[in-house]
Amino acid sequence: MRLAAVALVALVAAVVLGWSPLVPVSIVLVGGVYAAHLAIDDARLDSATPAFAAGLLVTAELAYWSLEERDRVQGEPGDGLRHAAFVAGLGVATLLVASVLLALVDAVRTRGLAIDLLGAAAAAAALFAIVVAARGQSRTRQ
Amino acid sequence: MTRAGSPRIEGYAVVAAIGLVAALALRRPELAIVAAPFALVLVAGTRLARDPCVSVELALAADRTVEDADVEATLTVRTDGAVDRLELLLDLPAGVKIADGADAYAVQLRSGEAREIPLTLRCSRWGVYELGDMEVRARDSFRLVVWEQRLVGRHRLKAYPSQISLRRILAPVETQAFAGSEVARVKGDGVEYADIRSFVPGDRVRSINWRASARKQDLVVNERHPERNTDVVLFVDSFVDVPGADGSTLEDAVRAGASLATRYLERRDRVGLVGFGGVLRWLHPGMGITQRYRLIETMLETGVEPTYTWRDVNLIPARILPAKALVLGLTPLVDPRFIAALSDLRARGFDLVVVEIDPVPLVEAGSTAIEQLSYRLWVLEREVLRARLQGLGIGIARWGDLDLETALEEVRTFRRYARLARV
Repeated sequence: MRLAAVALVALVAAVVLGWSPLVPVSIVLVGGVYAAHLAIDDARLDSATPAFAAGLLVTAELAYWSLEERDRVQGEPGDGLRHAAFVAGLGVATLLVASVLLALVDAVRTRGLAIDLLGAAAAAAALFAIVVAARGQSRTRQ
Repeated sequence: MTRAGSPRIEGYAVVAAIGLVAALALRRPELAIVAAPFALVLVAGTRLARDPCVSVELALAADRTVEDADVEATLTVRTDGAVDRLELLLDLPAGVKIADGADAYAVQLRSGEAREIPLTLRCSRWGVYELGDMEVRARDSFRLVVWEQRLVGRHRLKAYPSQISLRRILAPVETQAFAGSEVARVKGDGVEYADIRSFVPGDRVRSINWRASARKQDLVVNERHPERNTDVVLFVDSFVDVPGADGSTLEDAVRAGASLATRYLERRDRVGLVGFGGVLRWLHPGMGITQRYRLIETMLETGVEPTYTWRDVNLIPARILPAKALVLGLTPLVDPRFIAALSDLRARGFDLVVVEIDPVPLVEAGSTAIEQLSYRLWVLEREVLRARLQGLGIGIARWGDLDLETALEEVRTFRRYARLARV
């Protein structure tokens, strides 16, 4: 509960102070709370995972959108609604993808070497994504 | 355009990585499922992002305007690829603002689309402005990648000073040889009646005053004052500028100079300019509408260039200050070099009037007793200086609380009495 409160404070601070690195911090903290909940309950599969994933992604999107709006750029009429629809669509898509993944995991019901290998591959892919993101940050003139 | 990642990339990568590692460590597939959408958005966003190749052009409806007048402009944006959000941030120079909105716009463009954004610019101060500097920022649909470009302005907008209403202006003591609107002191062919005198051979019959001749039993002719033009030289102090909240003394000096020049040129007078300061600028006296534009455009370049060298009127070419010219000094009476130049000009016999751009209202008195005492001493010193210049026969129009026309009227009164005293 305290961790969730810290996550909320971090998110509010990110939006108010305009400091974007606090957004993933708050998301990770909420994820940590969820992980702790899963570890303590030790349920077989949590059916609320798709909703939680969609909620996290929409929260992150809204937080970054809020940070972008700090520039006070005068947009076209309907610009905000259009992006809100995009974020909502992203949330729905996340819900679907996460549900499919959950169903897949439930169907396989594999605990052991296979899921460990899958996790290791996912971790390697995540690290690769971080490297790609870091290289993308260094600006290149096209 | 320069490609850069938005903060989303770092954030989503961190969340995805930690989620996946945590899933592996805690052996909970739910955490991998939570992290998966972040990773998917990251991959899809970066793979689908393409350089939109945006081009932006600014077109101005006019290259000259007047202070506080609106200038229509159009911002034309073209793109080769689709842009979810194209942000245009205009970097306007100080003194120029958007009259009817913000200086940053965001538009959405489809592939190959061109869009025109109408703008209304307004210059709050006279000057020469370089326009067109702007920051262009394009974002993709996922807002993961940002393309940025800095455009440098190529448009020059000249804002002329606004005109101050002047019904009457100062007449020089002496007139020149050419026809104009000023009634000369000398006698000759003209309209204004001057005097009568006895007829001498060679006088025209039409100038005989028959009534006076009948009374005197001798032929008497009318004498008249001719209408002549005058030479006026604007002597602008650019040694120092006293800034205030709403403007500065140099801004007001140029406004007054432009208004006076316009009024004198309307009377067919010749008007010249000397910008006396760190940089010496001059313009030969001339007349007509062309001279008006020359004068104003020369004044637009006026600025304070710091210098510690002593300058005197010997630096000014002799032809710039013609004999019998009225020299109008536009100064806040702050820099001793300009005050010395005024005294020097008066000593050389020039008909000299000072339009004092009063800096006193622009200067805060201060809060401490010492500051307030210093302020009062400074104001008293200015009074003494003013009295000393008036003692030399220089009329001073103090333009501060009063409007310029009233200040000039005070000088007209002063010059009337000053001439009487001299006689």
